[in-house]
Amino acid sequence: MAHARRGGIGRYYDVNGWLFVAPALGLIALFMIYPILWSLWMSFQSGRGMMMKFAGFANIVRLWNDPVFIKALTNTMTYFVVQVPIMILLALILASLLNNPRLVGRGLFRTAIFLPCVTSLVAYSVLFKGMFAPDGIVNSTLQAIGIIASPIPWLTNAFWAKTLVIIAITWRWTGYNMIFYLAALQNIDKSIYEVARIDGVPAWARFTHITIPLLKPVILFTTVISTIGTLQLFDEVYNLTEGKGGPSNATLTLSLYIYNLTFRFMPNFGYAATVSYVIVVLVALLAFVQFFAARERDR
Amino acid sequence: MDILARAYLPRIAGLALASASFLAVTAAEAKEITIWCWDPNFNVAIMKEAGARYTKKHADVTFNVVDFAKTDVEQKLQTGLASGTADALPDIVLIEDYGAQKYLQSFPGAFAPLSGTVDYSGFAPYKVEVMTLDGQVYGMPFDSGVTGLYYRKDYLEQAGFKPEDMQNLTWDRFIEIGRQVETKTGKKMMGLDPNDAGLVRIMMQSAGQWYFDKEGKTNITGNAALKAALETVGKIMQADIYKAANGWSDWVGTFTSGDVATVMAGVWITGTVKAQPDQAGKWGVAPIPTLGIEGATHASNLGGSSWYVLESSAEKAEAIDFLNEIYAKDIDFYQKILQERGAVGSLLAARGGAAYEAADPFFGGEKVWQNFSDWLAKVPSVNYGVFTNEADLAVTAQLPALTQGMPVDEALKAIESEISGQIQ
Repeated sequence: MAHARRGGIGRYYDVNGWLFVAPALGLIALFMIYPILWSLWMSFQSGRGMMMKFAGFANIVRLWNDPVFIKALTNTMTYFVVQVPIMILLALILASLLNNPRLVGRGLFRTAIFLPCVTSLVAYSVLFKGMFAPDGIVNSTLQAIGIIASPIPWLTNAFWAKTLVIIAITWRWTGYNMIFYLAALQNIDKSIYEVARIDGVPAWARFTHITIPLLKPVILFTTVISTIGTLQLFDEVYNLTEGKGGPSNATLTLSLYIYNLTFRFMPNFGYAATVSYVIVVLVALLAFVQFFAARERDR
Repeated sequence: MDILARAYLPRIAGLALASASFLAVTAAEAKEITIWCWDPNFNVAIMKEAGARYTKKHADVTFNVVDFAKTDVEQKLQTGLASGTADALPDIVLIEDYGAQKYLQSFPGAFAPLSGTVDYSGFAPYKVEVMTLDGQVYGMPFDSGVTGLYYRKDYLEQAGFKPEDMQNLTWDRFIEIGRQVETKTGKKMMGLDPNDAGLVRIMMQSAGQWYFDKEGKTNITGNAALKAALETVGKIMQADIYKAANGWSDWVGTFTSGDVATVMAGVWITGTVKAQPDQAGKWGVAPIPTLGIEGATHASNLGGSSWYVLESSAEKAEAIDFLNEIYAKDIDFYQKILQERGAVGSLLAARGGAAYEAADPFFGGEKVWQNFSDWLAKVPSVNYGVFTNEADLAVTAQLPALTQGMPVDEALKAIESEISGQIQ
């Protein structure tokens, strides 16, 4: 009798449980799974605007013959290879400095470094554009203190434009990563450092041999997150270059190219979907490589 | 819970339906026409004037003229059309001539054909041509982008040049003058945005060529006008007679601030030039310089745009009637927007009006409108095709290399290969 009742209640809970998650599941299916599958289907079509036709693998073939795509891919990978390591290292160093309990004004510094993360992507890009203008505050300051003789062409020279984008995203995201490290550092047992200090291990060795290994899971997490973020880089470049990725496509990213293919050029939604799947594949590959690399060192 | 829902759902649904239809009824009575356009000194102000004229006769129709940046108008429109829902779209939208065929061809059925209503024989034929697809005409022709060379008389005088010296220039002479202006006054000759191919387009069309030939095929490596245009822009950049600008507003700033001696643009820039009252009397207008090749003229076109009515618009009939009544018939309206805003319309009958004969005190009493009208008749006609945006980016991608001494033929090859990767 009791057994039968429990079965009845179990089924009752079961149905209710499903009812509770049904709206969420429905929304996920409608707004996540359906668009993903639909964009996959779109990536096999090509055409102008609404006039789409099935094209098989033509879009994938087109990728190889499209110099602008290759350029966007190279730029995106350059940002990734240069910017992510710089930012991760910087965030790590800042986090261990700010973790020092004897540092005066810790809270102030932490807030100051984290603050860029709460600014809007568009707002800070527009600000950077003004600051790095030929007669902007950065050039005039550098000139005033005699570091440079003539203004740096931040937005019109290919090298400097890339540098500016890297400076901008580093400024925006370093504090974000630093917060993860700070949180993780609180969890490291202080006695480990005490023992090391008693044994006479110098500060730098404590950093490389204690802090970094113990933070490895967090470093892996932030690296994967930063990789995804960099591969999807859009707002900064769009706003710094008025959506053109200039000069001469030097700052064009894959996401900006997708945007141009969809909204600026003769709209080809199929080809744009193909390029967005390139990002998906790249993120998956890089995340896999990073997990693999992190696991290797454990042995 | 179940019972509650069963009992109340129909009532809630009924209430929702009732309020929705109530909203629809009030909307139908108010009849507000929403219009998207982009230049507060020009087409926005002109559309407000047009709306005011129409509301005077039809008190039940009001207008909401929304001012965006031009790229925002284009990209919002493209997003709205692609989404397939018309709720977010306006009733009338301004589209630049370069992009008209792109929208007409890629979103069939999105725009209302006006062929039956509007008498197109009264308009400049080239404007009607860009809005025709499969025998149907879709828009209301608006302004022409006939180009002129606006120059600061005071700066040029300081450098030793009279207005006569600015007539019938070649580009080489223009660069030479630019050098002297800089030595004598410290001002740059012109503002130039290396990410904007507008100057290349002006030069190319002045010699009767475009990125595409009459059949719409790419016309790059064999394009003498494009070659000469790129060479000239390369020379301008090497001579360093320009002030670099990043983006449109920055470019506008080069001349509104008085930092440069000349502006090369379509006649629609007049409104912006005249928006600086302290510069009144200091400006003159000359024909643009010529390229030194066969078929080169002093006349060209930059931009120019037309009004399009969305097929899905709830106020479609009113919108069409409004455009037809003001833009196809009101000659007086064209006189006013010419004098106040520098809008050279494409309604041919309007050109006989008194305003075209008038002298403009801002330009020191020159009869600038008559000049623009004369140049307009000489603009070589070209086929803009549907890929001008793509071609523009391919051209600007090569400009820096060109300045650093890359041979023009190599640049043309690179442009051609980039474009052929883009247009499929």
